[in-house]
Amino acid sequence: MLAFIARRILSGVVLVVAISVIAFLLLYAGGGDIARRLLGEDASAQTVAQKAHELGLDRPLFEQFGSWVAGVFHGDLGTSWFTSQPVGDAILSRLAVTLSLVFGATILIAVVSVILGVLAATRGGWIDGLVQVLSLIGTAIPGFLIALGLVVVFAINLGWFAPTGYVQFTDSPQGWLSSIALPVIALSLGGIAGVTQQIRGSMLDSLRQDYVRTLKSRGLSTRSVVLKHVLRNAAGPALAVLGVHFVGLLGGAVIIEQIFAIPGVGQVAVTATSQGDIPLVMGLVIATGILVVLLNLVVDLAQGWLNPKVRLS
Amino acid sequence: MFNFRKRLVTALAASAIAAIALSGCSPAASSAGSSAKASGGTLTIGTIVASTTFAVNNSAWANESPYLQAVYDTLLHSDPDGTVKPWLATKWSYNSDKTVLTMKLRDDVTFTDGTKFDADVAAKNLLRFRDGTSPQKAYLATLADAKAVDATTLQLTLSAPNPSLLSFLSQNPGLQESPAAFGTPDEKTTPVGSGPYVLDKKATVVGSTYVFTKNPRYWAPQQQHYAKLVMNVYSTPTAILNAIKGRQINGAPLTDNSTIPQIKGAGYTANGQQLNFFGLLLFDRAGTTTPALGDVRVRQAINYAFDRKAMLKAIGQGYGTVTSSIFSPDSSGYDKAMDSYYTYDVKKAKALLKEAGYGDGQITLTMPTSSGFTPATYALTKQYLGDVGIKVDEVNVAPTSFLGDLLAAKYGSTVMQLKAAPTTWETLTLDVLPKAGWNPFHTTDGTVDSLAKTIQTGSKDEATKAAQQLNEYIVKQAWFAPWYRPQQTYATDPNTSVQTQTGNAYPYLWNFVPKK
Repeated sequence: MLAFIARRILSGVVLVVAISVIAFLLLYAGGGDIARRLLGEDASAQTVAQKAHELGLDRPLFEQFGSWVAGVFHGDLGTSWFTSQPVGDAILSRLAVTLSLVFGATILIAVVSVILGVLAATRGGWIDGLVQVLSLIGTAIPGFLIALGLVVVFAINLGWFAPTGYVQFTDSPQGWLSSIALPVIALSLGGIAGVTQQIRGSMLDSLRQDYVRTLKSRGLSTRSVVLKHVLRNAAGPALAVLGVHFVGLLGGAVIIEQIFAIPGVGQVAVTATSQGDIPLVMGLVIATGILVVLLNLVVDLAQGWLNPKVRLS
Repeated sequence: MFNFRKRLVTALAASAIAAIALSGCSPAASSAGSSAKASGGTLTIGTIVASTTFAVNNSAWANESPYLQAVYDTLLHSDPDGTVKPWLATKWSYNSDKTVLTMKLRDDVTFTDGTKFDADVAAKNLLRFRDGTSPQKAYLATLADAKAVDATTLQLTLSAPNPSLLSFLSQNPGLQESPAAFGTPDEKTTPVGSGPYVLDKKATVVGSTYVFTKNPRYWAPQQQHYAKLVMNVYSTPTAILNAIKGRQINGAPLTDNSTIPQIKGAGYTANGQQLNFFGLLLFDRAGTTTPALGDVRVRQAINYAFDRKAMLKAIGQGYGTVTSSIFSPDSSGYDKAMDSYYTYDVKKAKALLKEAGYGDGQITLTMPTSSGFTPATYALTKQYLGDVGIKVDEVNVAPTSFLGDLLAAKYGSTVMQLKAAPTTWETLTLDVLPKAGWNPFHTTDGTVDSLAKTIQTGSKDEATKAAQQLNEYIVKQAWFAPWYRPQQTYATDPNTSVQTQTGNAYPYLWNFVPKK
């Protein structure tokens, strides 16, 4: 097990280094005149040149990359060119916001998907049909459209939630819940549709197995068989899908955070990339790269924890 | 044997706790959840960019002016119509050739760190701004020296007269920062000024929400109309619209005028002003890369080719005023007659082209296209020019390179929106003079130079007359082919009254007042 973890961490490090190099090169290739964009259309050419020098943009590319790498090894990710905030601080504060959305969405997906998937598989009939239709709709409608619809109905027309912004939990638990409710729902619906189908399918497969018939013949109640045995076997593949969705939710948060004006990683990633804020984008690449590597590792370990049959020796 | 349900519940509970704990890790939160009220307590406004820096020497004005005005004072103030008024400087006078400006300063102003404001501090701030990397650095390009004559007398020496200097000193070149903060590691994120408010760093989420509390020792408390300011950054027009519809903000700029009916429907007022001109910039007036543009008749034909009213309706949703001039109605060079100088006249355009020796399809203009403007803009440009026999060769340029390419004289003409500056001299230094950034081919013209000299050194009356003559000359010489001045809209809720500021996208902070 330890060797497996070590191998995964090592490959993760290689991956993060590789995407850092690629991201750096891509940013410079498509970066255009960053100093000009920073200063705007009215700045003189001399001022732009002075700013480029101040930011080190007039140095050779490998030298700039070397400085950035040296900074990373000293724990210094640099300072945002467009907000003057240390990159580490910017990412930490925003990662917390995004992860609270993503964790919230993951919990919602897990709970609702298990309920719907189990109901569809065990009850069948119109319930199964309804769940399948809802899943299809959930998969077909883009998350941003759902978000916009939720804002119009529940925030603007009904006034139940705040249409934009984020409130810290420690400031107001109620305000926090109100500020993340709609984004979490918008973020979850696609995932609920996918994971529900996965659970339904896995449940149906498991229900046809011989051991289920055996357990039932020994007098165990259907509820006990489904919840203690069938769901447990069906949970493995569902968890794998949930893990993939978790990573996908980080991507989905980019749009959702824009719509709800939530100060998360997604919002800042879009802004920083369009501005050419290289230190901030590079910091985000590193942070999300590490996060995804760790998440995949956790999902692998969780699968073994839930199902001894897939445990690694 | 493991209990599956127990594990699942444990895992979900752990995730929930992690989510809550993580949310609590955030250093601060947006206050956008609270509704805006006319209590005079909190003013919540939307902005479209974050503060790049609070270090005055590198600061940017326009979209960032609210952040800076909250924490800093300027040497001078300007009224909504641009009239310069005393502020930290109470009196001022020029010498006879307008190269020495002497200002009398207040003696009762203290920065929030306890440092006293005086003429020496003001001189240091001005020189530091001149040598910094602010986008508006060129405003002080002619500042040769600044020195304190005594504690309350400041003397500025100029290498050449600057007719817009007083106006500039009411903007970021005139901001006063405590010298104790100069060069400190957190200068860019921790402002130390003498202004009406203080940045609440604990409640601020950099890049997203900036919170300011009242400076209790402010020397002009009549300017503090609110106890607290909240500035929320919205990166999309949809987010601004949703914040307005949800009554979360007292005011915000609209980046899309098509939302005006919706914001009015939400009970907000659309405060309009005209800050820019939109149309074609005909850079290559000497015909260096596009010989045809060197002929004034071709440039005039281009001006006659466009139906400006139709362009305004199609692209600007009808919000704005058609014009043939780049001069702002607020500037001394403005002449209403120049707004309608060029009419839509295809016959005249064709005749001018023929007179210049160009037949149908013999002129091709290579123009860059950018995602910054709508495809309809480019399609209409191509169509109108095509109707008079001018071809357009479009080159798709990445938005990241668009400005740089234009200013590097890579194209002889382009679709562009530029600032219609509130002062004539600013218009000249931005767009007209040989060294102006938006004169990338460095066009020189004896008449322009002569009139510019009068504007720079003449009396007020002489300068005004010369400014209007210059406007007319540039229009007739067709240096540009503007279509219209688009309406810039600032929305305010029913509880807030505001006066828009000439030349600035945001109303000045002290002009936000709660309605009684």
